[in-house]
Amino acid sequence: MNALKRYWWLILLAAIAVYPVIGKPSPYRSGLLIFAGIYIILAVGLDLLMGYTGQISVGHAAFFAVGAYTSGILTAKYGFSPAAAMGVGVVFSATLAFLTGRPVLALKEYYLAMATLAFNEIVVTLIIGFEGLTGGASGLRDIPPFTIFGFSLLNHLHYYYFVWTVVVLVIASSIAVVRSPFGRALIAIHSDEQAARSFGVDCAKYKTRAYMLAAVYASIAGSLFAHYMGFIAPDDFGILTSINLLVMLFLGGIGTIFGPALGALFLKLLPEITYQFQDYELLINGIILIVVLVFFPRGLFGIFTALRNKIVPRMGK
Amino acid sequence: MSDISHLVQFLFSGITVGSVYALIAVSLVIVYKVSQLICFAQGEFFVFGALTMTTLVSKGVPVPLAFFLSIIIAMALGALIQQVLIRPMKNTSVGALIVMTIAISLALRGLALLIWGRESHVLPPFSRGEPIQVLGAALQLQILWIVGITTVVLFLIWFFFEKTPAGIAMRACAENPYGASLMGINTQKTTLVAWAWGSGIGALAGMAVAPMLFTQYTSGIMPMVKGFIAMSIGGLGSIVGSVIAGLLLGLVESYTIGLISSKFSDTIVFALLMAVLVFRPNGLFSRS
Repeated sequence: MNALKRYWWLILLAAIAVYPVIGKPSPYRSGLLIFAGIYIILAVGLDLLMGYTGQISVGHAAFFAVGAYTSGILTAKYGFSPAAAMGVGVVFSATLAFLTGRPVLALKEYYLAMATLAFNEIVVTLIIGFEGLTGGASGLRDIPPFTIFGFSLLNHLHYYYFVWTVVVLVIASSIAVVRSPFGRALIAIHSDEQAARSFGVDCAKYKTRAYMLAAVYASIAGSLFAHYMGFIAPDDFGILTSINLLVMLFLGGIGTIFGPALGALFLKLLPEITYQFQDYELLINGIILIVVLVFFPRGLFGIFTALRNKIVPRMGK
Repeated sequence: MSDISHLVQFLFSGITVGSVYALIAVSLVIVYKVSQLICFAQGEFFVFGALTMTTLVSKGVPVPLAFFLSIIIAMALGALIQQVLIRPMKNTSVGALIVMTIAISLALRGLALLIWGRESHVLPPFSRGEPIQVLGAALQLQILWIVGITTVVLFLIWFFFEKTPAGIAMRACAENPYGASLMGINTQKTTLVAWAWGSGIGALAGMAVAPMLFTQYTSGIMPMVKGFIAMSIGGLGSIVGSVIAGLLLGLVESYTIGLISSKFSDTIVFALLMAVLVFRPNGLFSRS
């Protein structure tokens, strides 16, 4: 039964793969899971920056915006293929993160939070301001669906599998990153930056790289989002989105990769349960969050591992 | 209108908005000083203040009474939140605390939605009368109220922190909570008082501009963000710095909207913030 303890994620993977076949979801249902997948990519990237490197960001949606708008503008207006546009978005986001990373990440805690928040607002106000290119506040229309090798992913189930493949790749690569020497350097920076520096870790360089990696993930998520929606507006990328991402991290259990993924999934599916309470929805969401934060400081993933450890040993012995 | 009257008009709107930013920034600073915590729910007190007063006045409660009742309700709410939700989270990380205040702001926003619905509410001006003409620009009487209230509040805060034992105790808690507790200062009580002050001032900001604004349950977000900016430019823990920064922010905003571009005024404001953070991380007015 130790195998179950180690390979529980395989069950999860199988569930993701089999769900559309067994559940036969409506386009609406699979749409929810597509959104959840996109947010998982964002949250896992942010977890590398916040959970592992310890650098707070209240502006992560900025790179989500850069990815979405690069994809949207290049495909809708300049006839790029979606894959190429996504690539351009990734390069653009990484460059932007590289250029802003050093000065911004030299700041700590609240100052860093404020600077990233400001960066987010700058990106959004520029998008609103340059109407000719971006469609301004009323949004950018007519973004074509994603295509791979000439095969259009118009069908919602095709896109479901596409997005979730990316999700799995992002999670797997994040785990690889965390376990690599680079990842250990990030964790060292988190626990004590001065000590890490005295052991020869170039903190500014590593922090900037973690920031770039998170930006790249967010940019990919943005491209996936733009092609799924076909229409994007600045509201989707404001600081409220960034704040939501923070909530996902802490709700799920920060610094665990799976935790933020779980948090994103939970927060994206929660409205499906609470929407029937109509005007009470916002209050109930707030209360659920407060309860988790007060009583389960290690988040949903903490609850999950505690349960797993309780059940599995009993089965094994 | 002549050019001069335009400039004067921008000055009036800048001072109005700036006063509100200054009040919110001060309310944030007071909480930050004693709890080392930036409360993301501060915008909700802005909304609660404005909407409670609007409701009370529409129910026929005299304006001065409604004014004080609304402040007291907000103060009680802030103290309650500190006592029940923030206090148990003493030993958690900054990130978790920030998210806690975000959760509180969601819950409060949800509560405001239940009480006041989705529609906007306007409070009648505190006093009736024609705007005063100054160099061809119109000065609404409510602006005088806003500036007056801001001045009085700032004076009271200065007096409290400099001249009263409770205020000095609060400063001691901000400097060194452990040392303060050794000197017999009840740090928990002091923190509670600070939260009540912070919530009350946040509410006051909302009430003062309620006659010039359509307030609804989501109205707290932008003022809160601008309050953050003022607070950061002023150097997080400095009341004087954040007041100057709040007024400056209001003026910069008003003049960029009027003279440069309304589209990019927020871009300019946020770029200014980033520049200050990167080049003067201890605030624009720090000595070092």
